[in-house]
Amino acid sequence: MSFGEVGVAALGGYLLVLIAVAEIARRSKQDATPSDHFLAGRDLGVLVLFLTLYATAYSGNSLLGYPGRAYQAGFSFIMSTGFMMAIIVLFHAIAPRLRPIAAQNGFVTPGDWVRHRFRNDPAGPILATAIGILMVIALANFLLAQLQAMGTMTSRVTEGIIPHEFGVVGLALMILFYESLGGMRAVAWTDAGQGILMLFGLMALLFWLMGDGGGLANITARVAAVRPGALAIPDAETCINWFSTVALLGLGSVLYPQAIQRIFAARSGRVLQRSFAIMTFMPLTTTLVVTLIGFAAIARIDPAAGVASDEVMPYLLGEWASSGGVRMFAAVLVFVGALAAIMSTADSCLLSLGSLAVGDILGRDRSDPRTTRTGKWIAAFVLFAMVPFAIQRELTLWRLIELKMELLVQCVPAFLVALHWQRLRAWPTFLGLLLGTAIAVGAAIAGAKTVFGIHSGLLGLGANLLVAILGSIRSAPRASVSS
Amino acid sequence: MAETLVRRARLRRFLFLCIAVLYVISVPWYRSSDAEVEIVFGLPDWVAFAVLCYASVAVLNSLAWMLQDPEDEER
Repeated sequence: MSFGEVGVAALGGYLLVLIAVAEIARRSKQDATPSDHFLAGRDLGVLVLFLTLYATAYSGNSLLGYPGRAYQAGFSFIMSTGFMMAIIVLFHAIAPRLRPIAAQNGFVTPGDWVRHRFRNDPAGPILATAIGILMVIALANFLLAQLQAMGTMTSRVTEGIIPHEFGVVGLALMILFYESLGGMRAVAWTDAGQGILMLFGLMALLFWLMGDGGGLANITARVAAVRPGALAIPDAETCINWFSTVALLGLGSVLYPQAIQRIFAARSGRVLQRSFAIMTFMPLTTTLVVTLIGFAAIARIDPAAGVASDEVMPYLLGEWASSGGVRMFAAVLVFVGALAAIMSTADSCLLSLGSLAVGDILGRDRSDPRTTRTGKWIAAFVLFAMVPFAIQRELTLWRLIELKMELLVQCVPAFLVALHWQRLRAWPTFLGLLLGTAIAVGAAIAGAKTVFGIHSGLLGLGANLLVAILGSIRSAPRASVSS
Repeated sequence: MAETLVRRARLRRFLFLCIAVLYVISVPWYRSSDAEVEIVFGLPDWVAFAVLCYASVAVLNSLAWMLQDPEDEER
């Protein structure tokens, strides 16, 4: 059997498992309310919550984007371990305060918090809608990155038997199927399995790379010979960019709507606390591993081969598989594990997107089962609207991550500041959001990605915070504070 | 009980301070970009140091999460 045929068989087997999980999740449903569909009845325990947070956080971006970026940027991309860990550090500022309020008030979407916090403020609803729109756009971008990665992985694991386009469309249909059938339960349970597959698969690949390359010291020596600049101590601008990337990705990622909804879905504060205590070690077992894989690729891949950054990981897996025997089967398993991780992020995005669109933008009733149905239809529409863009593959996964984060960080005042500072008002927060978003979008259109190494989204956030805070201080004190 | 909570909160603040310091020193801004690089544990020294900083952050942050007092218990 060829590598491609084994790939098709493994992919088929994996999809059958997904169908079975979706059916079990459907039978476990308690009712058709949005809370049950989008938050699994708020009953996720430590292990499932940890694994679903893990599989959601580590996506196609981490598996394809990060090794590609490490291959391009060299050793300075060790910053990736720092920014992934910063997410779990920054969750201290949001999760412990937000969860009890969410549980008490039955929040389903992030916008529910904004509406609750600014409930006595006339601009509260408009702020919640603006944040809903921004988050839906960021989720659509995230979804696009996952679809793009799904297509790449499918065509590679099947050696083109299933082309990129079919991979995108077929797997999008599969996600839509199990997510509509089983909601958050199906998503969380499949995430759990997908997380385990990804963890072991990456470890196996790293061991092979290290063994085949004669150990880490030998690999570094070869990198030094091929690209000496990759080992050099970063210059001032790269160091500033390092700090900027940690801040951008740390702050942006704690505002992932799907991450916030997992905070709502936790069974209790203690469950959440334990899940985060374990999650904090995962950048060492995942991000560091994919970054080292990217470094090893510098020594292995001939620059003349012209391998695109997002193709680095599939290229290495292809090399691993070509060494034959058990390694071919191991490579197929890693491919399927990576594909599973990508799908797990896509499904979480899709679920979150549907709930935000109906809840925060259309303002539908949270207890009405029809809200769940409308959310599913909107999610399906957005998913298929993204497919043509995913097939074109015009942007690298790393650039898609940066764009998404530059939008999401503009929500910092409405969450992180609003949770800790009671004087924050809705109007200045809304105006700050508009200004910050305009700066981030304007800079992206003008092609000004960074200024002296600082991401334009962070500069936008600076202006955003200034308007929100100064505007709130100037406003007459009114009784619009939360409990 | 209240005293334990205050002590925990104080310890958490201290852990956050250590984490902030680790983040600041993990980036080699204080070294010249043309300084000689040694290989430590198979990695350039500044990369190995950054990994060490992030591993320490993981331990301290996990501790900080365990010291967090959850406002609501398991159902």
